[in-house]
Amino acid sequence: MRKLLAWLLWLWISAVIAGAFLYAPLAKGFIGQSSRILFFHVPMAWVSFVAFIAAGVWSLRFLYFGRQPRHDRAAAVAVELGLVFGVLATITGSLWARVMWGAFWNWDPRQTSIVVALLFYGAYLALRSSLEDADQRARLSAAYAVLGLVVAPFLFFIMPRIMFSLHPQSVINAQGKVEMESRMVQVLLAGSAGCTALFFWIHNLKCRLLAHAERKSALYE
Amino acid sequence: MVTGEIGWVVAVNLIIWTGLFLYLLRLGSRLRELEKKP
Repeated sequence: MRKLLAWLLWLWISAVIAGAFLYAPLAKGFIGQSSRILFFHVPMAWVSFVAFIAAGVWSLRFLYFGRQPRHDRAAAVAVELGLVFGVLATITGSLWARVMWGAFWNWDPRQTSIVVALLFYGAYLALRSSLEDADQRARLSAAYAVLGLVVAPFLFFIMPRIMFSLHPQSVINAQGKVEMESRMVQVLLAGSAGCTALFFWIHNLKCRLLAHAERKSALYE
Repeated sequence: MVTGEIGWVVAVNLIIWTGLFLYLLRLGSRLRELEKKP
């Protein structure tokens, strides 16, 4: 069953890749094929946000439901993966900015807010690595990740909207409407769903790997 | 860009994605083996 689901995910993301280049039309007002990066950039940014929120939720579960190490582990892995997807979103965004705006980095509010988000969660990992006592590390980092439940939505959705930005409008624009060609919306939503499933799959594997490593080290101690 | 050139881009993307997918699949099955061991 697990293998079947995995192969379905392979088929799904393969269809998204093909759809991004062969099915979705080019967006108006963009240079050459540059608008196609949207189908990779937006899902990566979305997954980064989902990962940071998931880390906050797992941290809440750790703090209020029995302080189980698996919840602490799940939060830490979610932050690590959120950072990976966030960096990929930043790189793809910068490549697009080079084509459209003439420079990789322009300190646009969206670029600035993602950097602040990455620094915020980079600090989470720094906090974890600076504490030797496992209980203290789990408690403090959980409290920090819960703070992220407020910080992440602000940096991803609110700050870029309250400041003037050159960044193209969001999928759901300020008027609450989706003004995008329907085939583009289909590929974008399918890509976001596929990337979210990929995140939870990698998350599950990494958590199990860490749990196994901890069991082994406990055996040898 | 003509369709032929786009085809190459799609092929490279699919190869990268399939490589990552097979790695994750293999990692999953090896993990299951390890978890079964007492």
